[in-house]
Amino acid sequence: MKNNHSVISSIYSALIPIVLAFFVGGIIIAVIGEDPFLTYQIMIQKSLFTSQGILKTLHFAAPLILTGLGIAITFKANIFNMGVEGAAVLGAFFAGVVGFSIKGINPGVHITLCLVTGMLVGMIVTLIPAILKAYFKVNEMVVTLMLNYVVVEIVKFLAQGVFKDPASGYVSTYAIADSAMFKKIFNSDLTLFFFIAIGVLIIFYVIFNKSKLGFEITAMGKNPEFAEATGMNVAQKIVLIMLISGAVSGLAGAGFLMSEKYRFTLDFSGDPGLGWDGMLVALLGNHSPIGILVVAIFYAALKTGSEYIGLFTNVPKDIVGVIQGILILFLSVRFISQNTSLRVKVKKLFSKIRPNKLKNDEC
Amino acid sequence: MNAIRTENLTKKYGSFVANANINLSIPKGEITAIVGENGAGKTTLMNMFYGLGRPTSGAIFVNDQKVDFSSPLDAIHCGLGMVHQHFKLVPSLAIYENIMLGAELPKTLSFKDRFRMQSPFIDKRQERIVIEKLIHDYQFELDPSERVENISIGAKQRVEILKMLYRNVDILIFDEPTAVLTPQEVDELLVNFRELKEQGKTILLITHKLREVMDVSDQVIVIRRGKVVGSRPTIQTSVEEIATMMVGHEVHLQTQKEARAFSKSPVAYQVNGLSTTNYLGKKVLDNISFEIREGEILGIAGVEGNGQSELVKVLSGLMLSTEGGVQLYGEDLTNQWPCEIRKSGVGIIPEDRYAQGLCKEMSLGDNLIAGYHGNSRFCKNNILDQKNICQNRDELLNKYDIRVADPEGTVSQLSGGNAQKVIIAREFDSGLRVLIASQPTRGVDIGSIEFIHRCILNLRQQNKAVLLISSELSEIMGLSDRILVMYKGKIVGEVAGDKANNSQLGLLMAGITK
Repeated sequence: MKNNHSVISSIYSALIPIVLAFFVGGIIIAVIGEDPFLTYQIMIQKSLFTSQGILKTLHFAAPLILTGLGIAITFKANIFNMGVEGAAVLGAFFAGVVGFSIKGINPGVHITLCLVTGMLVGMIVTLIPAILKAYFKVNEMVVTLMLNYVVVEIVKFLAQGVFKDPASGYVSTYAIADSAMFKKIFNSDLTLFFFIAIGVLIIFYVIFNKSKLGFEITAMGKNPEFAEATGMNVAQKIVLIMLISGAVSGLAGAGFLMSEKYRFTLDFSGDPGLGWDGMLVALLGNHSPIGILVVAIFYAALKTGSEYIGLFTNVPKDIVGVIQGILILFLSVRFISQNTSLRVKVKKLFSKIRPNKLKNDEC
Repeated sequence: MNAIRTENLTKKYGSFVANANINLSIPKGEITAIVGENGAGKTTLMNMFYGLGRPTSGAIFVNDQKVDFSSPLDAIHCGLGMVHQHFKLVPSLAIYENIMLGAELPKTLSFKDRFRMQSPFIDKRQERIVIEKLIHDYQFELDPSERVENISIGAKQRVEILKMLYRNVDILIFDEPTAVLTPQEVDELLVNFRELKEQGKTILLITHKLREVMDVSDQVIVIRRGKVVGSRPTIQTSVEEIATMMVGHEVHLQTQKEARAFSKSPVAYQVNGLSTTNYLGKKVLDNISFEIREGEILGIAGVEGNGQSELVKVLSGLMLSTEGGVQLYGEDLTNQWPCEIRKSGVGIIPEDRYAQGLCKEMSLGDNLIAGYHGNSRFCKNNILDQKNICQNRDELLNKYDIRVADPEGTVSQLSGGNAQKVIIAREFDSGLRVLIASQPTRGVDIGSIEFIHRCILNLRQQNKAVLLISSELSEIMGLSDRILVMYKGKIVGEVAGDKANNSQLGLLMAGITK
């Protein structure tokens, strides 16, 4: 019974920011002079209720599921890995390098090779903060955050130098070979990559809920002193968790490159970037695999829906960016009420108002 | 005239009633003791007096005036001060600076005694003079210029009291003031209490140590389960009567155990010349050596903060030793990982149960396997076996009489005693060979204390070795076969369990070795 209650409350806490973000977004649309209901209707209908739309949405959800899981596994263990973005970008870049430098091999082998490269590169990047955190007690949040900028510069250097495609008009690497591309399924945007992401999701579900590692992650996250005192090798576990996170991040980047972009450009990850979107997905989904799946699809639907808005209405498609921004804002409000006494203060304020009202009624 | 009077004072936390319709009056200029078991609601009551919590209903009257405190500052303005169990002092500052903290005297600039102006500088000379006078008035033995980090715990407590006295407080509330003191320091404190009473102060003493109550108080108020169950003038009551009122039934505080000879049983656990330094580079354990034979309970007594916590940390693998070694039946356990130490059969009851022993937000079943979650019974191929975990939970809840409202729920629902039993159940059921128990009954109700003591004696019966570390002298004396006393990281003395007495241990605990 208690379990049910917490499930409902976690659904509420994810739903309320979404509803509020749509509400405020709707006001903005109305101010522009457009019909917010029609806009939302087009957005949702086209992205979720047409076969092409839903497949496209699922396609864009795949990398978000992976980066979301990469964030969730570390946040659950109370390790704040901000380097998912960097790991995804670097993983994608080297997967791309393997994708265009090797030619003429079996597509299955080539794709596997690229994905493994992406994962390995992601793991190597996250190994640095992991070792610093586990054995030298260096704050992982600072290191991972800064490493993202290091990655950006490395990638810029390589993309403008040795790996630059001279035929391209802007900074970009060569396109990957055909054998390294995920093939479109059903003549839609969907590729095998989505199913790989789902496979990883299922593995994470088992890890979180059924495995010894999941038990240790929960213990470390809730009470690190307890975890250590009861004999868990916390330093080793930190490295392991970070490596897993790096691997799925690298996989996310590699898969996105091989199923959507096909070549590495400097704006590959988009704005705000796969890793940061993944963080939002993990937070909204409450770090649970099922939650992450639902939120990633919802979030991808916003993205695909935005393109249809531009086609069918006069609302600029940037409205989705506004909604995303408001979503983040309301999401952080949730954290305020969790960690401070703001909630108590608001309650107090209301309880002060209410008795006055009663008195007025009596008069 | 009453210093404090309450009318139907009630405090609820959700559906839990911490204090129910408390009506009491505390006469001015007397020493009143409020006694009760842990969790009886004493602290909640005091927090309401001191402005740390607001009553759900009812009223508090201080000096016959109704008050409504929203913070301790309001309480101090009304002449009510509290001395906390854990001191709130700045170690690097001198005594007088600590007392003046927040009420510093500024230097006054004057020009021909006409233009007076306050400067932003502190007048340290004046401060010292004021505090010297204060110390003299109350006849406390303190040097105001001494730094707080260099003075004894008893002296720190006197500084805390002075802090309140300087702020013109006439009602002093003491929360378990003797918990951290040696028996000799307790006596000094009691002398100070009488001194304060002579000066016309009202003292409210929260405690569960009945000796002090009988010694010093004028009136005893007993609280049980959030209700006042009795109020007596001290001269008309006895320790037995108070104890019975506290628990609600008659108690036998003496534990029964038969004497044994150990010299021939094999040595189970051996510690040789163990030393370690803390993160500041200070030597906190100095050449600790002892051995525990099979079926023996070795007690370690000492005032808290003399290296006991560090000893347990080193023995449980959470801290590295710099010298010396630990052996379990000849197997070397020095500086092993906590999991290795557990695997080889050392059960540990940690000092702080919510920090190291339990995870409040995790379920009971998970807490009951923590540390042993890698055992083949609970974990096959890295996948946990939920069925066995639940079965294990139900078995242990039953066997160790752990009372829970919801077996599926988390540990946070449990009272202190039941939470401690969760740790006991987990460690005792693991097939241990040696138990290291640190403060096993701290903050636990009397019923659970009896149970835990019985469990430890059972282990002795089964020929297991037990290391018992406690600051509760009665516990150490009641259970141990041999008692070691720790002082400043060293073992300063050994006493046979059946020959130990309070004053002898007290002297050793204060570092006096004749």
